[in-house]
Amino acid sequence: MAVLELPQWTALAPALVFVATALALFVIDSINPHTRNRSLLAGTTAVGALAALGVTVWFMLAGVGTPTAEGGLGVVELFGGQFVVDQMTLFFTTVVSIVTALVAVASYDYMADHTYQSEYYSLIMLAATGMAAMAAANSLVTVFIALELASLPSYALVAILKDNRGSVEAGLKYFLIGALSSAIFLYGISLVYGATGHLQLEAIADNLDGADAYGGLLGLGILMLIGGFAYKTASVPFHFWAPEAYEGAPAPISAFLSSASKAAGFVIAFRVFTTAFPVEATTAVIGIDWTTAFVVLAIVTMTLGNFAAATQDNVKRMLAYSSIGHAGYALIGLAGLSADGGELVMGAAMMHLFVYGFMNTGAFLFVALAEYWGVGRTFEDYNGLARQAPVACAALGIFMFSLAGIPPLGGFWSKYILFTETIGAAGTNGAMLVVAAALVVNSALSLYYYSRLVKAVWIEDPIGERDALAQPIGLYAAIVVAAVLTVVALPAFGPIADAAQQAAAVAIG
Amino acid sequence: MDVPIEYFVLLSMALFSIGLFGILTRRNALLFLMSVEIMVNAANVNLIAFAFYHGNLTGQVFALFAMALAAAEVAIGLGIVLVLYRNFRDVDVTVPTTMRW
Amino acid sequence: MEGLFDYAPAIALFPLAAFVIALAFGPKLPKKGAIPGIVATGGSLLLSLAMLAAVAGGEEGYYHETLFTWAAGDAAGEIGTDAIEFTFGILIDPLAALMLVIVSLVAFLVHVFSLEYMNAEGETGLPRYYAGLGLFTFSMLAFVYADNLLMAFMFFELVGLCSFLLIGFWFRTRSAPSAAKKAFLVTRFGDYFFLIGVVAIAATFGTVQFAGEDSFVAAAAAAIDDGGQLFGFDAETWVTITGLLVLGGVIGKSAQFPLHTWLPDAMEGPTTVSALIHAATMVAAGVYLVARMFGYYALSPTALAIIAFVGGFTALFAATMGVVKDDIKQVLAYSTISQYGYMMLGLGVGGYVAGVFHLMNHAFFKALLFLGSGAVIVLMHHEQDMWKMGGLKDKAPVTYYTFLAGALALAGIVPFSGFWSKDEILYDALIVGLEQPLIMAAYAMGLIAVFFTGFYTFRMVFLTFHGEPRTETAEDPHSVGWAIKAPLLVLGVLATVAGLANLAPVAKLTGAEISFLEYWLDGEYGGLEALTYHSYHETVPFEEGAIGSETTTMLLGAGLSLGLALAGAFTAHALYNVPSPTRHTEKLGGAYDVLRSNYYQDEYQVWLAEGLTLPVARAADRFDQTVIDGAVDGVSSVSLFGGDRVKRIQSGIVTNYAALLVAGFIALLIVLGFLGGWFL
Repeated sequence: MAVLELPQWTALAPALVFVATALALFVIDSINPHTRNRSLLAGTTAVGALAALGVTVWFMLAGVGTPTAEGGLGVVELFGGQFVVDQMTLFFTTVVSIVTALVAVASYDYMADHTYQSEYYSLIMLAATGMAAMAAANSLVTVFIALELASLPSYALVAILKDNRGSVEAGLKYFLIGALSSAIFLYGISLVYGATGHLQLEAIADNLDGADAYGGLLGLGILMLIGGFAYKTASVPFHFWAPEAYEGAPAPISAFLSSASKAAGFVIAFRVFTTAFPVEATTAVIGIDWTTAFVVLAIVTMTLGNFAAATQDNVKRMLAYSSIGHAGYALIGLAGLSADGGELVMGAAMMHLFVYGFMNTGAFLFVALAEYWGVGRTFEDYNGLARQAPVACAALGIFMFSLAGIPPLGGFWSKYILFTETIGAAGTNGAMLVVAAALVVNSALSLYYYSRLVKAVWIEDPIGERDALAQPIGLYAAIVVAAVLTVVALPAFGPIADAAQQAAAVAIG
Repeated sequence: MDVPIEYFVLLSMALFSIGLFGILTRRNALLFLMSVEIMVNAANVNLIAFAFYHGNLTGQVFALFAMALAAAEVAIGLGIVLVLYRNFRDVDVTVPTTMRW
Repeated sequence: MEGLFDYAPAIALFPLAAFVIALAFGPKLPKKGAIPGIVATGGSLLLSLAMLAAVAGGEEGYYHETLFTWAAGDAAGEIGTDAIEFTFGILIDPLAALMLVIVSLVAFLVHVFSLEYMNAEGETGLPRYYAGLGLFTFSMLAFVYADNLLMAFMFFELVGLCSFLLIGFWFRTRSAPSAAKKAFLVTRFGDYFFLIGVVAIAATFGTVQFAGEDSFVAAAAAAIDDGGQLFGFDAETWVTITGLLVLGGVIGKSAQFPLHTWLPDAMEGPTTVSALIHAATMVAAGVYLVARMFGYYALSPTALAIIAFVGGFTALFAATMGVVKDDIKQVLAYSTISQYGYMMLGLGVGGYVAGVFHLMNHAFFKALLFLGSGAVIVLMHHEQDMWKMGGLKDKAPVTYYTFLAGALALAGIVPFSGFWSKDEILYDALIVGLEQPLIMAAYAMGLIAVFFTGFYTFRMVFLTFHGEPRTETAEDPHSVGWAIKAPLLVLGVLATVAGLANLAPVAKLTGAEISFLEYWLDGEYGGLEALTYHSYHETVPFEEGAIGSETTTMLLGAGLSLGLALAGAFTAHALYNVPSPTRHTEKLGGAYDVLRSNYYQDEYQVWLAEGLTLPVARAADRFDQTVIDGAVDGVSSVSLFGGDRVKRIQSGIVTNYAALLVAGFIALLIVLGFLGGWFL
């Protein structure tokens, strides 16, 4: 594997593949405007995503990001440290590209009647580019640009059903909250820059002690950065857009946003806080341990998400709230950081995001399938679907139980490891015990509403007569693949866990 | 440098607060957009002032990026406001409330 | 010879295979599973005999092999040095080899007997019956050669399960399922203590092996020698406690007081099953376990004394109840309880050989008596009430004479097998009792029970076979075939001559070396040094006394017990060996009601269940239903209500979101800023 002989900039190949695919889609559209050739468009998108996945996996296997001491090729830094390609980058790029591929395949059927086909797919590709860039961003400049690159196409994607009031309303709310949040985020960046004089993450860390005089300014800046990340990951109190955006958006886009976009939000949060604001040095300047903020946010986010999900009637909205709850679980990864490490907790959170990527995508794609059938939106409308579509409903069972964390599914293991590592981190930070308790309580509660959906689909009798259900190939394929990945995540858990833990260890340094 | 850095920060904070106030009180989507722009510009003021203060150009360059991004954001935003008007016959952001709870 | 031991697992696996075959193909087989069962138990019998020979003729004289380790922990016990391992292994020493032969022989004969008793009678569900027998035999054989306590426990439980299945064979009746449940629950009650005992022993010594260097017996002996503390007790006290916990299982399974109540009810099963349960498997398992870990009990005089006293008491207690029963199987059931009481008495006074001897003899004569009573039941067209029989002597001579042999053995009339072993038990009890008042009491009870035994045994014989036929069926009984007669003959011979295995009194008088069983169990022909009679005998802490000389004591004891047995038999003769016997129960007065009601044992146990446990359970249930469930329901309602409230902040109006977002952010800012001192 002759990675070394390639020029340095090729380390960004996954993102470049995404952007190239987006451009290819534009080219297709300009040769044949308003083309309805869905196979070509969705195929190109899926191939592009899979190519990005292939490159990422190749990089991983070749040892990009693995420390040279362990026989790897070392971390690749680009453009004066503006970008960095390490294990964490590759780990999250994997998540993003798999989810993108699934979404592209599922959209083939879901968006069958849509007028603007090529725009839809190229927007997905551009958003994926942004997410891949987020995974590699190593400066607040690139972080912000990548974040906007991921956000702007997302706004358009959510509102892409232009004649659908729900879609437009969702797009509006998503956009308005997003604009507000990115303004806050940008202001936070400006304050951090003011306090330290740098935007590159390592440089910020190096200049923290020079910011003594501006402790409050820096603290406010950091808090505003947290706000920006909270928005991207749909965490309290910046989560308000999420229920509506996920509910109103086309279901594949909901899957895309709640899985890939959330994972990308977490990767920049992980990177910024581990690289730029080492706990000890930052605490010395701002006078308080910033993990406190994440402890509070994690508890509130998971509790709010799960409690609000418990009483939903609308399946998609239930999934939206559950997605907020899972953001709370992943936030534990940041809450558990401490001066003497915490990479185990962060690794566990990364694992959870990885598994979550599949099971949550799958769950939303099932909703996409239900919308494709036109069976309705509420739990009652889903009653008895298993009689007509056992395969998809079996997959749904896998997704739900995995989301709830029932052994032996992948979701159980990631949550279990997260729990044990949280308990382990309680040694240095007593508040983690509260976090662990909240995790358990919320998981228990989540089982209620997840199993409710399984019960509706498998046990309840249908309310009324229903016509025969079609079997769209693309959606079915995507759902089955997601289910298989969710199940396979179990035997593959050793490698995933290793990869996540290693990535976290390297990121924390 | 004659003007102390604190004044710039105060200016930017004032701008930020004005923008925030606008967001919280205006119901017109366009005014909402403009308020966000004010907040972004508050950040830009900061960036440029601090770039001057620290003596490096990072902040100024970033401010240029931020403006470009803000323009892109507005472009998307205007598009959404457009479809909002088509669907709801209004640009009042409090009107679309079909989804809640 | 040594190579033979490699086939040891097959002894238990044959019946298991028969179980599987009967279960899977039973309905399609000509005899519904009987043939595989007979072949399998026959094979087990042959292999067991080969084991016996291998033990006798081999260099080492025993076989101890761990076959499978299914769990190995890191933890050692309280005083164990090595990590605990849970294994399946085989231990074949003289005791186990002897027991294997007994079990497989009885099982084989029961299978043969079933050919006529069950098949010829046109029963339905025969594959289930034979599958049950196969599993039963498998469990018991595996229990017998288990080399550690945990494995023994597991098969002990399996034996209990099989008895449940077989007692409830006629599950469409009302009484059989109830009897099966009773048997299961009562024995499980005892097994509960057994389980605690197993855990306690494992936790204390870090091993559950019966034999070898790293056995818990050796560890316990070492601990007592060290004089240290175990879990805050003296080592010896702790050994007593754990030993008594294990004894709980024994008392349940071997139907000792107060857990004997299930056994008479277990007569609801087919008579063949009763024969198997009473002679070789279920009930024998308890006493066998005591013999198996006798080295452990030998360390604790308290435990031994309790075993002896419970045994003696049970022997008398059950014998008195047997006196007034009308059902032939009921009489036998109480005799079983009584006889196992003797075995416990024998073991409890350190008479290891005597106890095992009686276990063997009892297996033969009790199997004989049950199969004989099965034959009688066939003769009588399924009538079990002895008052409706009579005069069967001439009509079924084979049944009569074999039954008589069994009865003489049971009553302990010289020279039948039962006499020798019972006498040896009483002798062992007497010599210890002369030094220990408590044992003396146990001995006295055992002695008195001899009279009752003789009485009820012959009452049964006379009522059944002698006199005039009292019903039409008894006038013209059904005929029985070879499948019934052959097992009876085999067992009849064994019941008569099995005593020759250990003619201890004769040996003492004449000096001839003919106490073979003692030599056998003493490792003369091969065995493990630590598991031999003399090794146990050195450990048993009882002093032994004598009246005059040892021979005088022996003769006195033997004469006394024989005299009492004969007295009982002659009393029965006088009362019931007349052409038309009548009930003499009114002579007993109030005692009759007490005996007839089994000393109100069932009543008080039912009261314990209904009067005490049930209200407590009801209270617990109410607590669960109201407080616990209420709390759980409350939590869920509060959660859902809370969820319903929480989601209301999502008002749908985006300006509110912005406001809430900013408010949340400011709240966070204030908290953190205050804590971090940013505002100063």
